[in-house]
Amino acid sequence: MKLYRIWGIALRYLFLFRHSLDRLSDAFFWPVVDLVMWGLTSRFFVSTIGGDNHIILALLGGIILWIFPWRGQYEISVNLLEDLWNRNLVNLFVSPILFIEWIATLLLLGVLKSLISFSFAGLLAYLLYRANIFVLGWLLLPWGALLILFGWVFGLLIAGIVMRYGTRIQTLAWTAIYMIAPFCAVYYSVETLPVWAQTVTHFVPASYVFEAMRATISGNTVPLTALIWPTILCLIYFALAALMIRRSFLHILKRGLISVE
Amino acid sequence: MSILEVKDLTKTFKKTPVIKGISFDMAEGEILGILGPNGAGKTTTLQMLLGILTPTSGSVNVFGLSMPKHKSEILESMNFSSTYTDLPWRLTVKENLIWTSYLYNIEDRSRRLDKIKSIFRLEKLWNRATASLSAGQRTRVNLARAYVNFPRLLLLDEPTASLDPEVAIYMREFFMNQRQRFNTSIILTSHNMAEVESLCDRVLILKDGLIVGNDTPKSLAKQIEDTRLNLRITKNLAGLTKLLTSRHLRSETVGGITAITVKESLLPIFLYEITKNNIHYSEISIDKPTLEDYFLKIAKGGSNEAL
Repeated sequence: MKLYRIWGIALRYLFLFRHSLDRLSDAFFWPVVDLVMWGLTSRFFVSTIGGDNHIILALLGGIILWIFPWRGQYEISVNLLEDLWNRNLVNLFVSPILFIEWIATLLLLGVLKSLISFSFAGLLAYLLYRANIFVLGWLLLPWGALLILFGWVFGLLIAGIVMRYGTRIQTLAWTAIYMIAPFCAVYYSVETLPVWAQTVTHFVPASYVFEAMRATISGNTVPLTALIWPTILCLIYFALAALMIRRSFLHILKRGLISVE
Repeated sequence: MSILEVKDLTKTFKKTPVIKGISFDMAEGEILGILGPNGAGKTTTLQMLLGILTPTSGSVNVFGLSMPKHKSEILESMNFSSTYTDLPWRLTVKENLIWTSYLYNIEDRSRRLDKIKSIFRLEKLWNRATASLSAGQRTRVNLARAYVNFPRLLLLDEPTASLDPEVAIYMREFFMNQRQRFNTSIILTSHNMAEVESLCDRVLILKDGLIVGNDTPKSLAKQIEDTRLNLRITKNLAGLTKLLTSRHLRSETVGGITAITVKESLLPIFLYEITKNNIHYSEISIDKPTLEDYFLKIAKGGSNEAL
Protein backbone atom coordinates (compact mmCIF):
# COMPACT_ATOMS: atom_id res chain seq x y z
CA MET A 1 0.00 0.00 0.00
CA LYS A 2 1.26 3.47 -0.87
CA LEU A 3 0.24 6.41 1.29
CA TYR A 4 0.44 8.96 -1.53
CA ARG A 5 -2.17 7.00 -3.48
CA ILE A 6 -4.46 6.75 -0.46
CA TRP A 7 -4.09 10.51 0.00
CA GLY A 8 -4.92 11.03 -3.68
CA ILE A 9 -8.20 9.13 -3.43
CA ALA A 10 -9.02 10.81 -0.12
CA LEU A 11 -8.48 14.22 -1.74
CA ARG A 12 -10.97 13.31 -4.45
CA TYR A 13 -13.70 12.70 -1.86
CA LEU A 14 -12.69 15.62 0.36
CA PHE A 15 -12.87 18.03 -2.59
CA LEU A 16 -16.31 16.65 -3.31
CA PHE A 17 -17.35 17.16 0.31
CA ARG A 18 -16.40 20.82 -0.02
CA HIS A 19 -18.49 21.28 -3.18
CA SER A 20 -21.58 19.28 -2.27
CA LEU A 21 -24.31 20.82 -0.23
CA ASP A 22 -26.01 17.43 0.04
CA ARG A 23 -22.89 15.80 1.50
CA LEU A 24 -22.42 18.69 3.92
CA SER A 25 -26.04 18.45 4.99
CA ASP A 26 -25.61 14.71 5.57
CA ALA A 27 -22.80 15.45 7.97
CA PHE A 28 -24.47 18.30 9.85
CA PHE A 29 -28.15 18.74 8.97
CA TRP A 30 -29.49 15.32 9.95
CA PRO A 31 -27.72 15.20 13.32
CA VAL A 32 -29.26 18.62 14.07
CA VAL A 33 -32.74 17.44 13.05
CA ASP A 34 -32.46 14.26 15.12
CA LEU A 35 -31.13 16.06 18.16
CA VAL A 36 -33.81 18.76 18.08
CA MET A 37 -36.70 16.34 17.51
CA TRP A 38 -35.62 13.63 19.94
CA GLY A 39 -34.24 16.05 22.49
CA LEU A 40 -37.54 17.93 22.68
CA THR A 41 -39.53 14.68 22.70
CA SER A 42 -37.53 13.27 25.59
CA ARG A 43 -37.80 16.57 27.45
CA PHE A 44 -41.58 16.44 26.99
CA PHE A 45 -41.74 12.90 28.38
CA VAL A 46 -39.55 13.78 31.33
CA SER A 47 -41.70 16.82 32.15
CA THR A 48 -45.09 15.06 31.78
CA ILE A 49 -44.45 11.47 32.79
CA GLY A 50 -41.54 12.11 35.09
CA GLY A 51 -38.08 10.67 35.31
CA ASP A 52 -34.69 12.21 35.36
CA ASN A 53 -32.28 13.70 32.92
CA HIS A 54 -30.73 10.27 32.38
CA ILE A 55 -33.54 9.53 29.95
CA ILE A 56 -32.64 12.57 27.88
CA LEU A 57 -28.95 11.62 27.90
CA ALA A 58 -29.74 7.98 27.05
CA LEU A 59 -31.84 9.02 24.05
CA LEU A 60 -29.43 11.67 22.86
CA GLY A 61 -26.52 9.30 23.52
CA GLY A 62 -28.24 6.78 21.25
CA ILE A 63 -28.62 9.38 18.50
CA ILE A 64 -25.04 10.55 18.81
CA LEU A 65 -23.47 7.07 18.94
CA TRP A 66 -25.64 5.91 16.02
CA ILE A 67 -23.67 8.41 13.94
CA PHE A 68 -20.72 5.98 13.97
CA PRO A 69 -22.29 3.01 12.18
CA TRP A 70 -24.43 5.29 10.00
CA ARG A 71 -21.53 7.44 8.75
CA GLY A 72 -19.17 4.47 8.57
CA GLN A 73 -21.57 2.66 6.24
CA TYR A 74 -22.74 5.73 4.35
CA GLU A 75 -19.27 6.96 3.36
CA ILE A 76 -18.35 3.65 1.76
CA SER A 77 -21.54 3.10 -0.20
CA VAL A 78 -22.25 6.69 -1.25
CA ASN A 79 -18.65 7.34 -2.31
CA LEU A 80 -18.84 4.25 -4.50
CA LEU A 81 -22.10 5.57 -5.96
CA GLU A 82 -20.47 8.95 -6.65
CA ASP A 83 -17.86 7.18 -8.76
CA LEU A 84 -20.53 5.23 -10.61
CA TRP A 85 -22.65 8.35 -11.25
CA ASN A 86 -19.55 10.19 -12.49
CA ARG A 87 -18.35 7.24 -14.60
CA ASN A 88 -15.10 7.63 -12.69
CA LEU A 89 -14.47 4.05 -11.58
CA VAL A 90 -12.46 3.35 -14.72
CA ASN A 91 -10.32 6.46 -14.17
CA LEU A 92 -9.52 5.19 -10.69
CA PHE A 93 -8.57 1.69 -11.73
CA VAL A 94 -6.51 2.57 -14.80
CA SER A 95 -4.23 4.28 -12.30
CA PRO A 96 -1.80 2.27 -10.15
CA ILE A 97 -4.13 2.18 -7.14
CA LEU A 98 -4.79 -1.18 -5.59
CA PHE A 99 -8.28 -2.30 -4.68
CA ILE A 100 -7.23 -2.54 -1.03
CA GLU A 101 -5.97 1.07 -1.11
CA TRP A 102 -9.31 2.28 -2.41
CA ILE A 103 -11.20 0.36 0.26
CA ALA A 104 -8.80 1.55 2.98
CA THR A 105 -9.45 5.15 1.92
CA LEU A 106 -13.20 4.71 2.10
CA LEU A 107 -12.92 3.14 5.56
CA LEU A 108 -10.67 5.93 6.83
CA LEU A 109 -12.95 8.62 5.41
CA GLY A 110 -15.81 6.93 7.28
CA VAL A 111 -13.86 7.32 10.51
CA LEU A 112 -12.96 10.94 9.79
CA LYS A 113 -16.48 12.00 8.91
CA SER A 114 -17.94 10.00 11.82
CA LEU A 115 -15.67 11.89 14.18
CA ILE A 116 -16.64 15.25 12.64
CA SER A 117 -20.38 14.51 12.87
CA PHE A 118 -20.02 12.94 16.32
CA SER A 119 -18.11 15.91 17.75
CA PHE A 120 -20.56 18.35 16.20
CA ALA A 121 -23.58 16.44 17.54
CA GLY A 122 -21.98 16.02 20.98
CA LEU A 123 -21.35 19.75 21.21
CA LEU A 124 -24.85 20.58 20.01
CA ALA A 125 -26.46 18.21 22.54
CA TYR A 126 -24.57 20.00 25.29
CA LEU A 127 -25.50 23.46 24.04
CA LEU A 128 -29.19 22.64 23.56
CA TYR A 129 -29.92 20.34 26.50
CA ARG A 130 -26.85 20.41 28.72
CA ALA A 131 -26.58 16.71 27.94
CA ASN A 132 -22.88 15.91 27.96
CA ILE A 133 -22.14 12.67 26.11
CA PHE A 134 -18.45 13.17 26.86
CA VAL A 135 -19.03 12.36 30.56
CA LEU A 136 -18.88 8.76 29.37
CA GLY A 137 -15.18 9.47 28.94
CA TRP A 138 -12.76 6.90 27.55
CA LEU A 139 -15.54 4.31 27.21
CA LEU A 140 -16.57 6.18 24.07
CA LEU A 141 -13.37 4.96 22.40
CA PRO A 142 -14.05 1.18 22.40
CA TRP A 143 -17.78 1.76 21.82
CA GLY A 144 -17.14 4.14 18.93
CA ALA A 145 -14.56 1.79 17.44
CA LEU A 146 -16.93 -1.18 17.60
CA LEU A 147 -19.78 0.83 16.08
CA ILE A 148 -17.58 2.10 13.25
CA LEU A 149 -16.49 -1.47 12.55
CA PHE A 150 -20.17 -2.43 12.46
CA GLY A 151 -20.84 0.42 10.00
CA TRP A 152 -17.93 -0.71 7.82
CA VAL A 153 -19.46 -4.19 7.62
CA PHE A 154 -22.66 -2.73 6.19
CA GLY A 155 -20.79 -0.31 3.96
CA LEU A 156 -18.74 -3.09 2.40
CA LEU A 157 -21.76 -5.35 2.00
CA ILE A 158 -23.83 -2.66 0.29
CA ALA A 159 -20.92 -1.54 -1.89
CA GLY A 160 -20.37 -5.16 -2.92
CA ILE A 161 -24.03 -5.57 -3.87
CA VAL A 162 -24.14 -2.23 -5.75
CA MET A 163 -20.96 -3.14 -7.65
CA ARG A 164 -22.51 -6.41 -8.72
CA TYR A 165 -26.02 -5.23 -9.56
CA GLY A 166 -25.42 -1.57 -10.42
CA THR A 167 -27.10 1.68 -9.44
CA ARG A 168 -30.62 0.33 -9.90
CA ILE A 169 -30.42 -0.82 -6.29
CA GLN A 170 -28.63 2.29 -5.07
CA THR A 171 -31.36 3.07 -2.56
CA LEU A 172 -29.76 0.44 -0.31
CA ALA A 173 -27.00 2.94 0.38
CA TRP A 174 -29.45 5.09 2.36
CA THR A 175 -31.81 2.48 3.71
CA ALA A 176 -29.99 -0.79 4.41
CA ILE A 177 -28.62 0.10 7.81
CA TYR A 178 -32.08 1.11 9.01
CA MET A 179 -33.24 -2.45 8.38
CA ILE A 180 -30.98 -3.61 11.21
CA ALA A 181 -31.54 -0.50 13.36
CA PRO A 182 -34.50 -1.97 15.32
CA PHE A 183 -32.25 -4.85 16.41
CA CYS A 184 -29.50 -2.46 17.47
CA ALA A 185 -31.74 -1.16 20.31
CA VAL A 186 -30.47 2.36 19.77
CA TYR A 187 -33.15 4.20 21.79
CA TYR A 188 -34.66 1.45 23.93
CA SER A 189 -33.59 -1.55 25.97
CA VAL A 190 -33.25 -4.94 24.31
CA GLU A 191 -35.91 -6.24 26.72
CA THR A 192 -38.45 -3.99 25.00
CA LEU A 193 -38.23 -6.15 21.89
CA PRO A 194 -40.29 -9.31 21.33
CA VAL A 195 -38.54 -12.50 22.41
CA TRP A 196 -37.63 -13.61 18.87
CA ALA A 197 -36.13 -10.19 18.17
CA GLN A 198 -34.15 -10.35 21.41
CA THR A 199 -32.56 -13.55 20.09
CA VAL A 200 -31.59 -11.70 16.92
CA THR A 201 -29.91 -8.95 18.95
CA HIS A 202 -27.45 -11.50 20.34
CA PHE A 203 -25.91 -11.51 16.87
CA VAL A 204 -26.01 -7.74 16.39
CA PRO A 205 -22.82 -6.25 17.86
CA ALA A 206 -24.21 -2.69 18.01
CA SER A 207 -26.94 -3.76 20.46
CA TYR A 208 -24.28 -4.56 23.10
CA VAL A 209 -22.83 -1.06 22.82
CA PHE A 210 -26.17 0.72 23.22
CA GLU A 211 -27.06 -1.52 26.17
CA ALA A 212 -23.69 -0.75 27.76
CA MET A 213 -24.21 2.98 27.17
CA ARG A 214 -27.62 2.99 28.88
CA ALA A 215 -26.30 0.95 31.78
CA THR A 216 -23.39 3.34 32.26
CA ILE A 217 -25.66 6.39 32.12
CA SER A 218 -27.86 4.77 34.81
CA GLY A 219 -24.80 4.48 37.02
CA ASN A 220 -23.99 0.78 36.52
CA THR A 221 -20.54 -0.42 35.65
CA VAL A 222 -20.18 -2.41 32.47
CA PRO A 223 -16.91 -4.34 32.29
CA LEU A 224 -14.96 -4.06 29.07
CA THR A 225 -15.06 -7.84 28.80
CA ALA A 226 -18.75 -7.43 27.87
CA LEU A 227 -17.50 -6.19 24.49
CA ILE A 228 -15.41 -9.27 23.71
CA TRP A 229 -18.22 -11.29 22.13
CA PRO A 230 -19.62 -8.42 20.00
CA THR A 231 -16.06 -7.56 18.91
CA ILE A 232 -15.44 -11.15 17.81
CA LEU A 233 -18.78 -11.16 16.02
CA CYS A 234 -17.98 -7.86 14.31
CA LEU A 235 -14.55 -9.05 13.19
CA ILE A 236 -16.09 -12.20 11.69
CA TYR A 237 -18.72 -10.08 9.88
CA PHE A 238 -16.02 -7.69 8.70
CA ALA A 239 -13.91 -10.52 7.30
CA LEU A 240 -16.95 -11.93 5.49
CA ALA A 241 -17.93 -8.49 4.14
CA ALA A 242 -14.36 -7.85 2.95
CA LEU A 243 -14.36 -11.22 1.22
CA MET A 244 -17.70 -10.46 -0.35
CA ILE A 245 -16.66 -7.06 -1.78
CA ARG A 246 -13.42 -8.58 -3.07
CA ARG A 247 -15.44 -11.26 -4.86
CA SER A 248 -17.77 -8.60 -6.28
CA PHE A 249 -14.78 -6.66 -7.61
CA LEU A 250 -13.32 -9.78 -9.24
CA HIS A 251 -16.77 -10.48 -10.67
CA ILE A 252 -17.02 -7.03 -12.30
CA LEU A 253 -13.48 -7.39 -13.63
CA LYS A 254 -14.77 -10.43 -15.51
CA ARG A 255 -17.58 -8.28 -16.94
CA GLY A 256 -15.43 -5.22 -17.49
CA LEU A 257 -15.22 -2.14 -15.33
CA ILE A 258 -16.64 0.03 -18.11
CA SER A 259 -19.87 -1.96 -18.00
CA VAL A 260 -20.57 -1.14 -14.34
CA GLU A 261 -23.22 1.54 -13.98
CA MET B 1 12.27 -3.45 -28.35
CA SER B 2 8.77 -4.70 -27.74
CA ILE B 3 6.91 -2.93 -24.94
CA LEU B 4 3.65 -4.79 -25.41
CA GLU B 5 3.12 -8.44 -26.20
CA VAL B 6 -0.33 -9.93 -26.52
CA LYS B 7 -0.58 -13.67 -27.01
CA ASP B 8 -3.66 -15.74 -27.84
CA LEU B 9 -5.94 -13.34 -25.98
CA THR B 10 -9.56 -14.43 -25.73
CA LYS B 11 -12.62 -13.07 -23.99
CA THR B 12 -15.96 -14.77 -23.73
CA PHE B 13 -19.04 -13.11 -22.25
CA LYS B 14 -21.71 -15.59 -21.20
CA LYS B 15 -20.55 -18.22 -23.69
CA THR B 16 -20.32 -15.62 -26.50
CA PRO B 17 -16.74 -15.24 -27.71
CA VAL B 18 -15.95 -11.56 -28.21
CA ILE B 19 -12.17 -11.78 -28.66
CA LYS B 20 -11.10 -15.00 -30.33
CA GLY B 21 -7.40 -15.48 -29.70
CA ILE B 22 -5.60 -12.39 -30.92
CA SER B 23 -1.83 -11.91 -30.81
CA PHE B 24 0.17 -8.80 -31.57
CA ASP B 25 3.04 -6.80 -30.24
CA MET B 26 4.16 -3.22 -30.24
CA ALA B 27 7.55 -1.55 -30.38
CA GLU B 28 8.61 1.28 -28.09
CA GLY B 29 7.72 4.62 -29.70
CA GLU B 30 5.22 3.08 -32.10
CA ILE B 31 1.77 4.54 -32.69
CA LEU B 32 -0.65 1.70 -33.27
CA GLY B 33 -4.23 2.17 -34.42
CA ILE B 34 -6.95 -0.34 -33.67
CA LEU B 35 -9.85 -0.11 -36.08
CA GLY B 36 -12.95 -2.15 -36.47
CA PRO B 37 -16.70 -1.89 -36.91
CA ASN B 38 -18.85 -1.43 -33.80
CA GLY B 39 -18.77 -4.57 -31.68
CA ALA B 40 -15.51 -5.78 -33.22
CA GLY B 41 -13.86 -5.92 -29.78
CA LYS B 42 -11.74 -2.74 -29.73
CA THR B 43 -12.81 -1.49 -26.30
CA THR B 44 -12.75 -5.03 -24.90
CA THR B 45 -9.14 -5.36 -26.05
CA LEU B 46 -8.16 -2.01 -24.56
CA GLN B 47 -9.79 -2.96 -21.25
CA MET B 48 -7.79 -6.19 -21.12
CA LEU B 49 -4.57 -4.32 -21.87
CA LEU B 50 -5.34 -2.03 -18.93
CA GLY B 51 -6.16 -4.85 -16.53
CA ILE B 52 -9.73 -3.68 -15.94
CA LEU B 53 -11.19 -6.72 -17.68
CA THR B 54 -10.05 -10.25 -16.96
CA PRO B 55 -9.24 -12.21 -20.14
CA THR B 56 -10.74 -15.68 -20.50
CA SER B 57 -7.34 -16.93 -21.67
CA GLY B 58 -4.10 -15.67 -23.13
CA SER B 59 -1.50 -13.27 -21.85
CA VAL B 60 -0.70 -9.57 -21.88
CA ASN B 61 2.84 -8.39 -21.12
CA VAL B 62 3.58 -4.69 -20.81
CA PHE B 63 7.16 -3.38 -20.33
CA GLY B 64 8.13 -7.05 -19.90
CA LEU B 65 5.77 -7.45 -16.93
CA SER B 66 2.72 -9.62 -16.83
CA MET B 67 -0.71 -7.98 -16.61
CA PRO B 68 -2.63 -8.15 -14.26
CA LYS B 69 -0.05 -9.64 -11.89
CA HIS B 70 2.06 -6.45 -12.01
CA LYS B 71 -0.87 -4.13 -12.72
CA SER B 72 0.08 -1.40 -10.29
CA GLU B 73 3.71 -1.29 -11.45
CA ILE B 74 2.70 -1.23 -15.11
CA LEU B 75 0.07 1.48 -14.67
CA GLU B 76 2.63 3.83 -13.09
CA SER B 77 3.92 4.29 -16.67
CA MET B 78 0.75 3.74 -18.64
CA ASN B 79 -2.48 5.71 -18.95
CA PHE B 80 -5.82 5.79 -20.71
CA SER B 81 -8.30 8.33 -21.97
CA SER B 82 -11.73 7.48 -23.25
CA THR B 83 -15.05 8.92 -24.16
CA TYR B 84 -16.54 6.21 -21.92
CA THR B 85 -15.22 7.83 -18.77
CA ASP B 86 -15.71 11.14 -17.03
CA LEU B 87 -14.04 12.94 -14.21
CA PRO B 88 -16.02 13.89 -11.08
CA TRP B 89 -18.36 16.62 -12.31
CA ARG B 90 -18.53 18.75 -9.23
CA LEU B 91 -14.78 19.14 -8.87
CA THR B 92 -12.90 21.87 -10.68
CA VAL B 93 -10.43 20.99 -13.43
CA LYS B 94 -7.58 21.91 -11.07
CA GLU B 95 -8.91 19.68 -8.29
CA ASN B 96 -9.42 16.77 -10.67
CA LEU B 97 -5.85 17.00 -11.88
CA ILE B 98 -4.49 17.41 -8.36
CA TRP B 99 -6.11 14.28 -6.92
CA THR B 100 -5.25 12.30 -10.04
CA SER B 101 -1.62 13.39 -9.81
CA TYR B 102 -1.41 11.90 -6.30
CA LEU B 103 -2.16 8.45 -7.70
CA TYR B 104 1.27 8.53 -9.33
CA ASN B 105 4.67 8.89 -7.81
CA ILE B 106 5.41 12.33 -9.29
CA GLU B 107 8.31 14.27 -7.86
CA ASP B 108 7.65 17.92 -8.64
CA ARG B 109 3.87 17.87 -8.63
CA SER B 110 3.10 21.56 -8.96
CA ARG B 111 5.57 22.02 -11.83
CA ARG B 112 4.08 19.00 -13.59
CA LEU B 113 0.56 20.38 -13.23
CA ASP B 114 1.63 23.80 -14.55
CA LYS B 115 3.13 22.07 -17.56
CA ILE B 116 -0.02 20.03 -18.17
CA LYS B 117 -2.11 23.19 -17.82
CA SER B 118 -0.12 24.94 -20.51
CA ILE B 119 0.19 21.94 -22.90
CA PHE B 120 -3.55 21.30 -22.88
CA ARG B 121 -4.46 25.00 -22.86
CA LEU B 122 -6.42 24.72 -19.64
CA GLU B 123 -5.62 28.16 -18.19
CA LYS B 124 -9.14 29.51 -18.65
CA LEU B 125 -10.80 26.30 -17.50
CA TRP B 126 -8.56 25.73 -14.49
CA ASN B 127 -10.99 26.80 -11.78
CA ARG B 128 -14.21 25.82 -13.54
CA ALA B 129 -16.34 22.88 -12.40
CA THR B 130 -15.92 19.94 -14.77
CA ALA B 131 -19.71 19.77 -15.17
CA SER B 132 -19.76 23.24 -16.72
CA LEU B 133 -17.40 22.31 -19.56
CA SER B 134 -18.41 21.57 -23.13
CA ALA B 135 -17.89 18.05 -24.51
CA GLY B 136 -14.74 19.16 -26.32
CA GLN B 137 -13.31 20.86 -23.25
CA ARG B 138 -14.04 17.76 -21.18
CA THR B 139 -12.21 15.60 -23.72
CA ARG B 140 -9.24 17.93 -23.37
CA VAL B 141 -9.30 17.64 -19.58
CA ASN B 142 -9.55 13.86 -19.89
CA LEU B 143 -6.50 13.84 -22.12
CA ALA B 144 -4.68 16.08 -19.65
CA ARG B 145 -5.55 13.62 -16.88
CA ALA B 146 -4.14 10.78 -18.95
CA TYR B 147 -0.90 12.72 -19.43
CA VAL B 148 -0.42 13.57 -15.79
CA ASN B 149 2.15 10.76 -15.33
CA PHE B 150 3.81 11.39 -18.74
CA PRO B 151 3.12 7.75 -19.69
CA ARG B 152 5.45 5.56 -21.70
CA LEU B 153 2.40 3.85 -23.14
CA LEU B 154 -0.83 5.73 -23.70
CA LEU B 155 -4.13 4.13 -24.69
CA LEU B 156 -6.61 6.47 -26.33
CA ASP B 157 -10.18 5.57 -27.13
CA GLU B 158 -11.50 8.12 -29.65
CA PRO B 159 -9.02 10.77 -28.47
CA THR B 160 -10.12 13.68 -30.60
CA ALA B 161 -13.86 12.97 -30.74
CA SER B 162 -15.82 16.13 -29.96
CA LEU B 163 -12.76 18.37 -30.18
CA ASP B 164 -13.03 21.28 -32.57
CA PRO B 165 -10.82 20.87 -35.68
CA GLU B 166 -8.19 23.36 -34.57
CA VAL B 167 -7.72 21.68 -31.17
CA ALA B 168 -7.85 18.21 -32.77
CA ILE B 169 -4.97 19.16 -35.08
CA TYR B 170 -3.09 20.63 -32.13
CA MET B 171 -3.57 17.40 -30.17
CA ARG B 172 -2.44 15.23 -33.07
CA GLU B 173 0.71 17.34 -33.39
CA PHE B 174 1.18 17.02 -29.66
CA PHE B 175 1.02 13.21 -29.80
CA MET B 176 3.57 13.14 -32.65
CA ASN B 177 5.78 15.52 -30.76
CA GLN B 178 5.62 13.39 -27.59
CA ARG B 179 6.63 10.37 -29.59
CA GLN B 180 9.55 12.24 -31.15
CA ARG B 181 10.82 13.73 -27.89
CA PHE B 182 10.08 10.98 -25.38
CA ASN B 183 9.51 7.91 -27.53
CA THR B 184 5.96 7.67 -26.13
CA SER B 185 4.04 4.70 -27.50
CA ILE B 186 0.38 5.19 -28.28
CA ILE B 187 -2.48 2.83 -29.03
CA LEU B 188 -5.56 4.54 -30.34
CA THR B 189 -8.97 3.63 -31.57
CA SER B 190 -10.78 6.14 -33.73
CA HIS B 191 -13.48 6.39 -36.32
CA ASN B 192 -11.60 9.23 -37.96
CA MET B 193 -9.71 7.40 -40.70
CA ALA B 194 -7.74 10.46 -41.79
CA GLU B 195 -6.52 10.80 -38.21
CA VAL B 196 -5.46 7.15 -38.04
CA GLU B 197 -3.76 7.42 -41.42
CA SER B 198 -1.79 10.50 -40.42
CA LEU B 199 -0.90 9.36 -36.88
CA CYS B 200 -0.39 5.63 -36.92
CA ASP B 201 2.67 3.69 -37.96
CA ARG B 202 0.63 0.52 -38.04
CA VAL B 203 -3.03 -0.41 -37.92
CA LEU B 204 -4.73 -3.51 -36.57
CA ILE B 205 -8.11 -4.21 -38.06
CA LEU B 206 -10.41 -6.12 -35.75
CA LYS B 207 -13.53 -7.84 -36.95
CA ASP B 208 -15.71 -10.18 -34.95
CA GLY B 209 -12.97 -10.58 -32.36
CA LEU B 210 -10.24 -11.45 -34.84
CA ILE B 211 -7.36 -9.47 -36.33
CA VAL B 212 -8.10 -9.37 -40.04
CA GLY B 213 -5.55 -6.73 -40.99
CA ASN B 214 -2.18 -5.74 -39.50
CA ASP B 215 -0.02 -3.42 -41.55
CA THR B 216 0.87 0.20 -42.23
CA PRO B 217 -2.09 2.37 -43.31
CA LYS B 218 -0.54 2.71 -46.79
CA SER B 219 -0.11 -1.02 -47.28
CA LEU B 220 -3.65 -1.71 -46.10
CA ALA B 221 -5.04 0.91 -48.49
CA LYS B 222 -3.03 -0.62 -51.34
CA GLN B 223 -4.97 -3.84 -50.91
CA ILE B 224 -7.91 -2.00 -52.44
CA GLU B 225 -7.52 -2.14 -56.22
CA ASP B 226 -10.17 0.36 -57.23
CA THR B 227 -9.41 4.04 -57.79
CA ARG B 228 -11.79 6.84 -58.68
CA LEU B 229 -11.13 8.80 -61.83
CA ASN B 230 -13.00 12.14 -61.86
CA LEU B 231 -13.52 13.87 -65.19
CA ARG B 232 -15.39 16.97 -66.35
CA ILE B 233 -16.35 15.93 -69.86
CA THR B 234 -16.51 18.72 -72.45
CA LYS B 235 -16.93 16.63 -75.64
CA ASN B 236 -18.28 13.19 -76.62
CA LEU B 237 -20.11 12.17 -73.45
CA ALA B 238 -21.89 9.52 -75.50
CA GLY B 239 -18.53 8.04 -76.46
CA LEU B 240 -17.60 7.83 -72.81
CA THR B 241 -20.89 6.08 -71.94
CA LYS B 242 -20.24 3.56 -74.70
CA LEU B 243 -16.70 2.99 -73.50
CA LEU B 244 -17.83 2.47 -69.89
CA THR B 245 -20.46 -0.04 -70.99
CA SER B 246 -18.00 -2.00 -73.10
CA ARG B 247 -15.48 -2.10 -70.23
CA HIS B 248 -18.16 -2.88 -67.57
CA LEU B 249 -17.10 0.08 -65.45
CA ARG B 250 -19.24 1.81 -62.81
CA SER B 251 -19.70 5.56 -62.83
CA GLU B 252 -21.80 8.34 -61.40
CA THR B 253 -22.15 11.97 -62.37
CA VAL B 254 -22.58 14.66 -59.77
CA GLY B 255 -22.32 18.39 -60.49
CA GLY B 256 -20.95 17.82 -63.99
CA ILE B 257 -18.15 15.58 -62.74
CA THR B 258 -18.21 11.95 -63.82
CA ALA B 259 -16.60 9.66 -61.27
CA ILE B 260 -15.46 6.36 -62.73
CA THR B 261 -14.37 3.40 -60.62
CA VAL B 262 -11.48 1.66 -62.28
CA LYS B 263 -8.71 -0.69 -61.16
CA GLU B 264 -5.49 1.20 -60.49
CA SER B 265 -3.47 -1.09 -62.78
CA LEU B 266 -5.84 -0.41 -65.70
CA LEU B 267 -5.88 3.36 -65.30
CA PRO B 268 -3.17 4.18 -67.95
CA ILE B 269 -4.88 2.03 -70.57
CA PHE B 270 -8.26 3.52 -69.79
CA LEU B 271 -6.91 7.09 -70.11
CA TYR B 272 -5.35 6.14 -73.44
CA GLU B 273 -8.70 4.79 -74.65
CA ILE B 274 -10.44 8.02 -73.66
CA THR B 275 -8.02 10.01 -75.80
CA LYS B 276 -8.28 7.49 -78.63
CA ASN B 277 -12.09 7.81 -78.62
CA ASN B 278 -11.82 11.60 -78.95
CA ILE B 279 -13.41 12.22 -75.56
CA HIS B 280 -12.40 15.62 -74.24
CA TYR B 281 -12.31 16.78 -70.65
CA SER B 282 -11.43 20.04 -68.92
CA GLU B 283 -10.72 18.71 -65.41
CA ILE B 284 -9.18 15.49 -64.16
CA SER B 285 -8.40 14.13 -60.70
CA ILE B 286 -7.65 10.68 -59.30
CA ASP B 287 -8.69 9.51 -55.84
CA LYS B 288 -6.33 6.77 -54.74
CA PRO B 289 -7.69 4.14 -52.34
CA THR B 290 -7.48 5.15 -48.69
CA LEU B 291 -7.55 3.36 -45.37
CA GLU B 292 -11.24 4.27 -45.20
CA ASP B 293 -11.90 2.33 -48.42
CA TYR B 294 -10.10 -0.66 -46.93
CA PHE B 295 -12.02 -0.30 -43.67
CA LEU B 296 -15.35 -0.07 -45.50
CA LYS B 297 -14.53 -3.17 -47.48
CA ILE B 298 -13.75 -5.06 -44.27
CA ALA B 299 -16.79 -3.69 -42.45
CA LYS B 300 -19.06 -4.73 -45.31
CA GLY B 301 -17.80 -8.27 -45.02
CA GLY B 302 -14.71 -8.20 -47.19
CA SER B 303 -12.58 -10.44 -45.03
CA ASN B 304 -13.15 -12.69 -42.10
CA GLU B 305 -9.84 -14.44 -42.30
CA ALA B 306 -7.70 -14.08 -39.23
CA LEU B 307 -4.05 -13.14 -39.67
